[in-house]
This record gives sequence, structure tokens and C-alpha cells, in this order.
Amino acid sequence: MVSITDIPRQPDVPLDRRVIARRATMGLSLLLAAASLLSLTYGASGTSLWSALGDLLAGRELSRMDRVILFDIRLPRVILGILVGAALAVSGAVMQGLFRNPLADPGLVGVSAGGGLGAITAIVLGGMLPVALRDWAGSYLVSFAAFIGAWVATMILYRVSTRHGRTSVATMLLAGIAMGALAGAAGGTVTYMADDQQLRDLTFWSLGSLAGATWAKVLAAGPIICIAVLGAPFLARGLNALALGEASAGHMGIPVQRLKSIAILAVAGATGAAVAVSGGIGFVGIVVPHLLRLATGPDHQALLPNAALLGGSMLLLADVISRTIIAPAELPIGIVTAVLGAPIFLWILLRRRGLVDL
Amino acid sequence: MMFEAKNVVVSLGRKQILHHVGFTARAGELTAIVGPNGSGKTTLLRALTGDAEYSGEIAINGQDTQSLKGWELAAMRGVLPQAAVLAFPFTAIEVVRLGLTAGLSAGNTRLPTQALDAVGLHGFANRFYQELSGGEQQRVQLARILTQVWEPVVDGVPRWLLLDEPVASLDIGHQLKVMQLVQQYAKRGGGVIAVMHDLNLTAMFADSVTMMCNGQVAGSGPVDEVLNNQTLSTAYGCSLRVNTMPPFGGTFLLPHSASQPTMGH
Repeated sequence: MVSITDIPRQPDVPLDRRVIARRATMGLSLLLAAASLLSLTYGASGTSLWSALGDLLAGRELSRMDRVILFDIRLPRVILGILVGAALAVSGAVMQGLFRNPLADPGLVGVSAGGGLGAITAIVLGGMLPVALRDWAGSYLVSFAAFIGAWVATMILYRVSTRHGRTSVATMLLAGIAMGALAGAAGGTVTYMADDQQLRDLTFWSLGSLAGATWAKVLAAGPIICIAVLGAPFLARGLNALALGEASAGHMGIPVQRLKSIAILAVAGATGAAVAVSGGIGFVGIVVPHLLRLATGPDHQALLPNAALLGGSMLLLADVISRTIIAPAELPIGIVTAVLGAPIFLWILLRRRGLVDL
Repeated sequence: MMFEAKNVVVSLGRKQILHHVGFTARAGELTAIVGPNGSGKTTLLRALTGDAEYSGEIAINGQDTQSLKGWELAAMRGVLPQAAVLAFPFTAIEVVRLGLTAGLSAGNTRLPTQALDAVGLHGFANRFYQELSGGEQQRVQLARILTQVWEPVVDGVPRWLLLDEPVASLDIGHQLKVMQLVQQYAKRGGGVIAVMHDLNLTAMFADSVTMMCNGQVAGSGPVDEVLNNQTLSTAYGCSLRVNTMPPFGGTFLLPHSASQPTMGH
């Protein structure tokens, strides 16, 4: 032990995880760019991005079909994939930081369940709506209902678990489980009333897909997801302090209650928007932050932007697989993320067992 | 400059835990809060840190703590919790670095390493916090608090360390070293308020003592005034003898049971 006054100045740790995290950010940016190119290049049709680019550079007009496939089918799908992947991964990371639990996920506290219930209700009971409203909402009825469902679930949770201006994380976790069960039961009842076609729609919605990507959906989900994902790093300092517990975070000058409110709003918005446009895509919110924590540490300053990059890349790659593996048909992307994500997750748990406590 | 509490009442539900407590700690001194289990010493500290809701007045350096913003308080005082469970696999240095973001020394990136050295954890920087022993974890937390309020005095205004049983899970060697470290903080002009269990360490290091008993102050003042046979035996409900070590003149306490022969002074 050295006295406070005469400590020799020493260099900081030579290669700490902050350096690794910065390198990871650059690597993941390249990965996202590569995944985007791959996703634009491959598809069920034979249209080639490269020959199209060659045509464009040579000043030739693209054929109408190439233009539609590249700009109206593949490009919005790539952008939507990045948005949804980033939203799910960042929501997972923020939720885990907020709940101080690496297994927390918007799926856990009933936010996704609320979104699911909204979608199920719209698919099955949408036909009962007045014709004018149905025409106005068009094919976005399901997305809109899912978004509303996620928001309502979050607001109920927040009201239940907040007393005297303080949100109890434990109450919220338990209330989330109850909400999830309730939404599941309500969803089950509605499903019971569904006809065969609706059952098929329901199943595919719950498996998740980017197949319905359009510019309109990109424009609908984009702003909310962008605000949440780009704003999340501003919560990093608070989420780091929160790892020490709410009291210690408060002692460090973090406005804990405001942090919790903003984080919950961001998660509800991003998850709601993502579930609305893509259905139930699982595992991204748990696997992506977990992989990054193992590689670069739990510092949210690096974790949140890196989660956005890796989440987007992973979802794009999963989408490429889902589109090409049984082409010209499409495998729902939720199946791909689960098939890839679950074994990776188990492998991580086995490999690091005992070394890093969950 | 002082850390002062006047007429502080803390209730938990309908039960009053602190009854109109007054407390004063001076900058430049190590003030110990002692008392038996359940006497309200940790509750008093929790009121001082703002964790427990209270009625009454609490002022740090003459300013009402409730009128100060969180970041203003964070720049003025660091709080060491009794035990801190960490949610994610941070390394020791990363935990200490969290202290940088709270105080006034955000730019001083060498500070976390210096603080780890100061608590005797040189070479532990890249160890996972969760793999450390309880005593090592406690010293990592102390390093984090030191990083937050590294300079004991800033612009003539003292800063404070509020410590909840800072040496509870340490071996005797580290107990002494940590007490010396915080004593030095006080000697350099900062204020230290520590909830202490060990009366002998208190007698050795504290400049003044507040003894709590049944949610009230049983005595406060310089060590040799407060730690006497009468007050101690009443507060702790057992026979305690205060003795003086001949060669150094230091005070030490010895409990004895009724079956043992009485020891003289």
C-alpha cells in the first residue's frame, strides 16, 4: 500500500478492452457493409447487383425488372433488416443494463408479448373493423396493432411497477411475466376463433419475416428505431453506473429515475416498431449483447453502438440464408435466428461456465 | 466545514428508527459511528447519503443536501456501500474507472490505476471483479470512491468519504492499511465518516465518535470521552473494559464474561 500523496505515475493497462471495443466497432462496420452488399446481391431472382452497377456505370438504362428487384424489393429489405436487427439488439442490451440481468430481454417483460397480441388480434379480428378504417390502414393494420400492443403493455407495466416516482425493477420483472401470461392467454383465445387461413398468417407472423419489406414500412419504423438506437449511447454512462446498483448509481450523481424512464420508453419504441414490421424474431436481443460482452466487456459506451452494428449484420445474414436456402420459397427468418442463435448461446454458456458469472 | 444533521427522524413504515438525532462531523477528522446491531448507525449513514427518507436537516459544507443536485453531491462526497454485487463481468480497473465519470476528475485517466495501487491491489487491474475475494472486492469499491473524490480539498472546500463498515471483510493487515489510508485523507483536509463495528480500530484511528443506541445518540465527542466503561457496557449490554496499552498509550477494549476474573486498568 502506498500513501495517497506519493504514488508513482504509471501508464494505464497496456491493452484494455476499450481498445478492443474500438477495433470491434471498425470491424463490425465493415461486416455490416459486407452483409448489406451480400444481401443486395443474393436473392431468389437471378438479378445481379454487379451487372446492374456495371450497366449504371456504363450509362445504360436498367431493365424495369432489375430496377424493381434492386430498389423496391432488396434495398428496402436490407434497410429494414438493419433497422430491425439494430433495434432488437440495442433494446436487449438496454433492457439487460436496466434490469442488471444479462438474460433480460424485451420478450421477458411482456413488451413483445403485447406486440404479439396486437398482431394476432389484428389478423383474426381485423375483418370486423369498419370497412373505411380497414381500407385506410390497409396492409399496415397488423404492424400498427403490434406497435400499439407493445406500447400499451409497456405503459401498463410501468404504471404497475412505479410507486411514488420510483420504478421497482423486481416488480416490473414479475409483472412482466404476468403480462406475458395474460397476453398469451388472450392471444390463445383469439387464435381459437381463427379460421384456417388466419391460423396460417398467425403462424408465419409469429415466426418473423422481412419478406413484406417496403419503403413505407422503412419510413414507418425508421424514425422511431433511429431515435432509440442513436440515442441509446447517451444512456451508457448511467447504465454502467447502474451495474453497481441503484443506490450507488445515485451516489455517483446519475438521475436514476429519469434514466429508467427514458430507457423504458426507448425499448418500448424500438421493440414495438421492430415487432410491428417484422413479427417475432427471437434471440437477437440476447445473443448479440452477450457475444459482445464476452469479446469487449460490459461497458455500455461501446456495447450499445456495437450491438446495433452486430444486430443489423446478423439479421441481414440470417435473412440471406432464409431467402436462399429453399429458394424460390422462403424460410421464416425467426427459424434461422433461433437455429443459429440457440446453439451459439448454449456453446457460450458451456465454454465460459464458471469463468464469468451470469 | 462540517457535515451536519439536526433533529433527524427516519421511519420505516410506522416504526421510527431514528429519533431526533443530531450529528456533526468536521472536515480534517475521521468520525466514527459505532453502536450495537440495530442501533441505527447504518440508518444514520443512509440518511446522510440521502438513501433513507428523513425529516430534519442535513447539510454538507453548509449546504442542505436536499437542495443539491445529484451530480453536485457526487462531486462533493463518495459513498462506499457495505457490499456491492456487480451485475456484469467488469474487470477491477473498469469498476474503478466508473468513479472517474462521477467526480471532477474525468480527464485524469491515470487516476484509476493510482487508486488501485493505493488500496494495495497493484496488478489486479485486469482481474474480473466477480472472481475476487470479498475483501478484495471491498477494496476495489474503495478505490472507485477514492477516484470519485481523489483530492480531499478542492478550491478550499473539503470533500467527504462516507463509508459503511469499510473494513468489515478485510484481514487485520488490510484493516490497518485501509484505516491508515482514510485517516490520511482526513489529515489532508477531507472529511471521513465511517460506520465501524470494530471498537479497537475505532479507538486507534477515529478523531471523534458518535455512539448510537436504540435509534438515539448515546454519546458523541472525542474517542476517550465516548468510549468509556459506562457508556460501552450500557450500549452493548455486556461488560467491556477500556484499557491503555503501556508502551504507546493507545486505548484498547476488552470484553469479559462474568465467569472471568475482572481485569484491572
